[in-house]
Amino acid sequence: MRHLWHSILKLWRSKWGFRLALVYLLLFVAVALILPWLPLPFSPSMLDTNHTFLPPLSAKAIATGHWLGTDGLGRDVFTNTLFGARTTILISFPVMLLATALGLVMGTGAGFWGNDKLKLRRSTALAGVLASSAALYYGLYLPLQLRQLESGSVYIAGALAVLLVLLLILGLAAIILQKKRNFWSTAIRIPVDAVVMRITEAVTSVPRFVVILVLASFVPPSLPILVLLLVLTLWPDVARLSRAEMARIKQLSYFEAGRSMGTPPVRLVWRHALPNLVGPVLVAFTFGLGGLLALESTLSFLNIGVPSELVSWGRIIAGVRSNTSAWWLVAIPGTALSVTILALYTCSHYLSITFGLKRHS
Amino acid sequence: MRKISVRVACFLALLLSYCSQPERAPEEVRVRLAVDPETLNPVNYSRAESLQIINLLFQSLLSADLGTNTIKPFLAEAMPSVERQDSITLFTYEIRKEAEWTDGSPVTAQDVAFTLKVAKAPLLNNESLKPQLEFIKDIRLDAGNPQRFTFVCSGFAPEMELLTGDFFILPAYLYDPENLLLHLNVADLHNGQQAVAQDEKLKTFAAQFNTPAFGHDPRLLQGSGGYVLENWQNGQYLTLTRKKDWWGNNTSNTQHLTANPQRVSFQVIPDITTALLALQNRQLDVLENIPAHEFEQLRKQESFLKDYNLHTPDAYDFYYAGINTRNPKFSDKRTRQAIAHLLDVNNIIQVSQMSYATPTVGIIPPSVKEFYNSNLQPINHDANKASTLLQEAEWIREADGWFKNIDGKREQLTVEVIYRAGNTNFENAAAILKQNASHLDIPVQVQGEESTLLSSRSKQHNFELYFRSLSGNPFAFNFKPLLHTAYAGMGGLNYTGFGTSESDSILDKISGTVPDREQQAVLLRRLQEIMQEEAAIIPMYYTKERLAVHRRFTNTKVSGLKPGYDVSAFTLKQE
Amino acid sequence: MPAHLLRKVLLLVPAAWLAGTLVFLLSRLIPGSYGENQILNVEASFYSKSSQQSREQAFREYQQKNGLDKPLFYFSLSPTAVPDTLHRVYPEPRRKQLEQLALSVGSWPEVAAYDLQVQRIQSLPLPLSKQEQQAISTLRYSSSFPALEQAAELLQNKPVTPEVAQRLAALNQALEALVDSRQILASLLPRLSWHGIQNQYHSWLVAALSGDFGNSYRTGRPALTEVRQGIGNTLLLLLVSMLVVLAMALELSILMVRRKLLWLRRALLPSLFILDSVPALVLAFLLLVLLANPAFLQLFPVYGMGYYTSGSLSAWQQLSLKLQYMALPMLTLVLVNLPYLTSQVHTSLQAALQASYSRTAKAKGLSEGQVIRRHALRNALLPIITIVSDFLPALVSGSILIETVFAIPGIGRLLVESVLARDTPVLVLIVLVVLVVRALSYFSADILYTKADPRLKHSIL
Repeated sequence: MRHLWHSILKLWRSKWGFRLALVYLLLFVAVALILPWLPLPFSPSMLDTNHTFLPPLSAKAIATGHWLGTDGLGRDVFTNTLFGARTTILISFPVMLLATALGLVMGTGAGFWGNDKLKLRRSTALAGVLASSAALYYGLYLPLQLRQLESGSVYIAGALAVLLVLLLILGLAAIILQKKRNFWSTAIRIPVDAVVMRITEAVTSVPRFVVILVLASFVPPSLPILVLLLVLTLWPDVARLSRAEMARIKQLSYFEAGRSMGTPPVRLVWRHALPNLVGPVLVAFTFGLGGLLALESTLSFLNIGVPSELVSWGRIIAGVRSNTSAWWLVAIPGTALSVTILALYTCSHYLSITFGLKRHS
Repeated sequence: MRKISVRVACFLALLLSYCSQPERAPEEVRVRLAVDPETLNPVNYSRAESLQIINLLFQSLLSADLGTNTIKPFLAEAMPSVERQDSITLFTYEIRKEAEWTDGSPVTAQDVAFTLKVAKAPLLNNESLKPQLEFIKDIRLDAGNPQRFTFVCSGFAPEMELLTGDFFILPAYLYDPENLLLHLNVADLHNGQQAVAQDEKLKTFAAQFNTPAFGHDPRLLQGSGGYVLENWQNGQYLTLTRKKDWWGNNTSNTQHLTANPQRVSFQVIPDITTALLALQNRQLDVLENIPAHEFEQLRKQESFLKDYNLHTPDAYDFYYAGINTRNPKFSDKRTRQAIAHLLDVNNIIQVSQMSYATPTVGIIPPSVKEFYNSNLQPINHDANKASTLLQEAEWIREADGWFKNIDGKREQLTVEVIYRAGNTNFENAAAILKQNASHLDIPVQVQGEESTLLSSRSKQHNFELYFRSLSGNPFAFNFKPLLHTAYAGMGGLNYTGFGTSESDSILDKISGTVPDREQQAVLLRRLQEIMQEEAAIIPMYYTKERLAVHRRFTNTKVSGLKPGYDVSAFTLKQE
Repeated sequence: MPAHLLRKVLLLVPAAWLAGTLVFLLSRLIPGSYGENQILNVEASFYSKSSQQSREQAFREYQQKNGLDKPLFYFSLSPTAVPDTLHRVYPEPRRKQLEQLALSVGSWPEVAAYDLQVQRIQSLPLPLSKQEQQAISTLRYSSSFPALEQAAELLQNKPVTPEVAQRLAALNQALEALVDSRQILASLLPRLSWHGIQNQYHSWLVAALSGDFGNSYRTGRPALTEVRQGIGNTLLLLLVSMLVVLAMALELSILMVRRKLLWLRRALLPSLFILDSVPALVLAFLLLVLLANPAFLQLFPVYGMGYYTSGSLSAWQQLSLKLQYMALPMLTLVLVNLPYLTSQVHTSLQAALQASYSRTAKAKGLSEGQVIRRHALRNALLPIITIVSDFLPALVSGSILIETVFAIPGIGRLLVESVLARDTPVLVLIVLVVLVVRALSYFSADILYTKADPRLKHSIL
């Protein structure tokens, strides 16, 4: 961690581009977070139907206080751009965090265990498979079905109770089976690496945009579902990166030493691998965030998977469709979007130079 | 390297040299389609775009004449004679003597019978037409006159006359050259006999008819209309050419039977922005549904107006808000009236239609002066009035909103507004309602719903307030399925649950006995009064169609009826 | 074909099967099919063109005809109380009510008995008040026991003939039986029902294996035809813009690595970096508003892929006509993808110049240009092959947006339209096509790779 901090500090001192981008991003986040408490003259959904499609800096715009113009309903473009930034952060940041966390877990797992380091007893593996299918049925399918019932909570509680009992029985059965030396107590190798790689290949075999487009058409537009979809399609990037890094770190001598001394895997990874992973992952994080911003605005422009009331940059841009001459509806949020992405890419670029990584897409 | 640079430069020069717009043939009319018509099967089409094109290829017995906005006989010689018997009604038609198919053979009653069989038979892809012709039980052919026949219809409704003529007549010689359906009869098909579905000949016919060829093949898409399909490049364009010597051009005093332009070409341009640019580049002759704001801008362009005429005929699209009266929060009509006072129709029109719409007090279009209740005052935006009405409805205003005890529970007055996702008109209306309601501390939640979800929520009465539109017409005013309480059950079209005993009896009268138009006007005016009082359906406005037509054409028959013009009537101006 | 390529082809089969199955099953699980929209949900008008019953009848026939009333998969896992034939019950609210009642009661026979009684009440020709209508509607569609009991009570007060009274009594009895037999545990037990091969998935899979991907719901034409028509334009757009991007990236990189043109590199790299930050959406609209708007600058025709022109044109003329319409979309695609590709090519070219063979060549006295073109470029091409094959999926996603904005009838627009109309057969096929195209691009990259450097033949296995 200290290493990371030092590198950033060094970058900050030596590169003015990095400094500029970072200051912009920090300001951007700060403004977006405290936005609801800022004394703005307009609220994002406030309509001024007498002043629609005001061009920015026109006499009328300045007179009415809409410096950067208004859209078709007289909503202030400036306020909407600010609130669009807030939405963008509130969606993209958690999505990228979740995706990074998921990717990190999968990637380090795959890199650490490889194809033959994780061994499980047959009984444990069987109990695991049975337990997860039981959890799917009683923990997910049934509650979803029973949710609409009148006294649904009673039924759901019942389902969860059944699940608990089943899990206990499975656990006990697994332990009993392990006691004796028999078919069930022999260990089998779990090819973690192969499984994770197959999953990432499956997820990335179809372009992300197509996957989201197709999946979003099957569910009603809502933020949690959109977040879930984005996370599920974004994690493989981080997973690949951290797997490769993990594989590299595994070869390092101090890691080998720690391993041979019998340090528990979790501690080993936490102590030795993660600090080395932080740099590359941070690069992937900032870069991925930039791509995510573009993706999110495209989705809200196409009105796919996004609730219609959400203030977003994509929605402002979509306003140009009803009036082609309102160029500012593209230019202003477009600039904000591009500059933010530029700042993220700049940070990512300098960080990657520091950590000696090649830029990747 | 230099070589490559030169090549790149040549390439760019080539691109730029082609940037002048292609020349246009004057006798061709070029029309925009918003989507590819997908299929032109006259029995199983589903899009308005298909209908517009099929109308040029095939004909129905009756159809709307856009020049006069009335129903006129097209393939029929005259309007049918109607005879009501106990539980059935008979409509007798005669087909025009001169009417003929592309191969020169006359259109006969046999063709009509064939069409009915196709519409009613099982196994065929006829789901969209079948329910519409459910009321025709049988057809009786006239032994003496091969062009005369009678429809036997169950019951009676005022719109039946219109419906008996409102489907395309198919050429039996072309669709069924082996006479596979000849042995079947309409009454059996209507009764849905099980044996019919096993009929081998019908199965053979179904196998042919259900192929895409019947919706695409120019050799099969040949009806009695003035045009034939010439070329169809899927997703791009579609052209029709005029038949050489079409029978309709030789009939005397039928202004509405026309096939004037030599060629009609339909360009598929999904995006309205691009369509507008194409229009400004003089690449389109007609463009309808121009967004209000763009229309206003076109109006100011001198150079554009030199080439194009702009029209704003009164259309029949009714935009309204519906409130679920079954919801305890809105069961008091004063609450609903209060919401009506918050809607601010004039502002909505101003913002989303730029005044190209007419506010209306009721469901009848203001342009139909005969039935429109002009004595009613439109409900204006009035927050004070709304707040008084809410107080009368026993809502109590507290610090953070309005509250009322309903069935022993303290409930807050909130409104959830739904509309079809992507419809900006409704989005704007909802935003304005939200803004006005927020001044009274009434929280409004707005949600655009995907159309399937919207219709299932409306059908299952799982909504508070929705915005919808209704496509109307100046021909028939039988609102019974829409407003009668008999249709207020789950699945019925009366989604809001509107209805009083008086409105029910009015609707029964209008749909049952045929009153003279004067009496009908009295009933409809009273109905509008009741609807305003009940405020379950809050009328907002009727739109005006906004379209541009190239100046080189006359006789364009611009009308409020869809598609807004009759392309077959276009004639070049004599210079 | 080399063995490792064959292996990759074989690996493609399960991937395609998985993707197809997933999309197919997901699309069938959501409410609202194409037929439902077209047949059942008819927009209301001033008069009604058809009754609700006749539409429902037509919809059921449609479902039967297309096999949509069959079970979805080989087996299904559902709570014991819910019968596996429930999906045949219409209308939908009634099915939902029965399902929910069965779930909360935990036993089906009582629910079926109740359903029968409600149907018998409904079939009575009774004059009903608004309240009574609502009560019957509650009995038919609600699954809340207090509401059902309340509704039944309300109907009890109706003065009626003995026949009606008898039916009402039967209804009450059925309702009581329903309430009494409630068991929570019973509804939690799962039941596995086996449907055999008479299911929608099986028919789809068998047909797909024989090359029949079904007919598009929207047009009724084979999905393959639909996709084939769209793919030409997309490929033209993609290939031409890819070639242009590649040519420009190569030329720019070559210029940038020359020592004399350092100023160019200093100017170009940052501007490419900035250009990279502008999303395709913003770029497309900016170009549209700037270059194809009569109010600003009218340089390009903007929509579609040209007009129908009678009379035959030479192939060259047709192509140039098409190119003219594709200019703007291509320009967008080029601008969007140029920065990434240029920086990659530049990096690998620079690396090649550092390598020993370049230095040797220079020592031999070759000019800078010759070194770059003859030696460095050839070696730098190797990584570029990978980059280009990696880059194709990004192009596909980009073309979806651009086809939508510029109204080009390609596969991207077809995808967006099928998504909106839920045209599953086309949707599945497009996903498969994308998969196959991507795999093909990898294969060709592999082949090019082995051609370019025979040493790699075995190492990339």
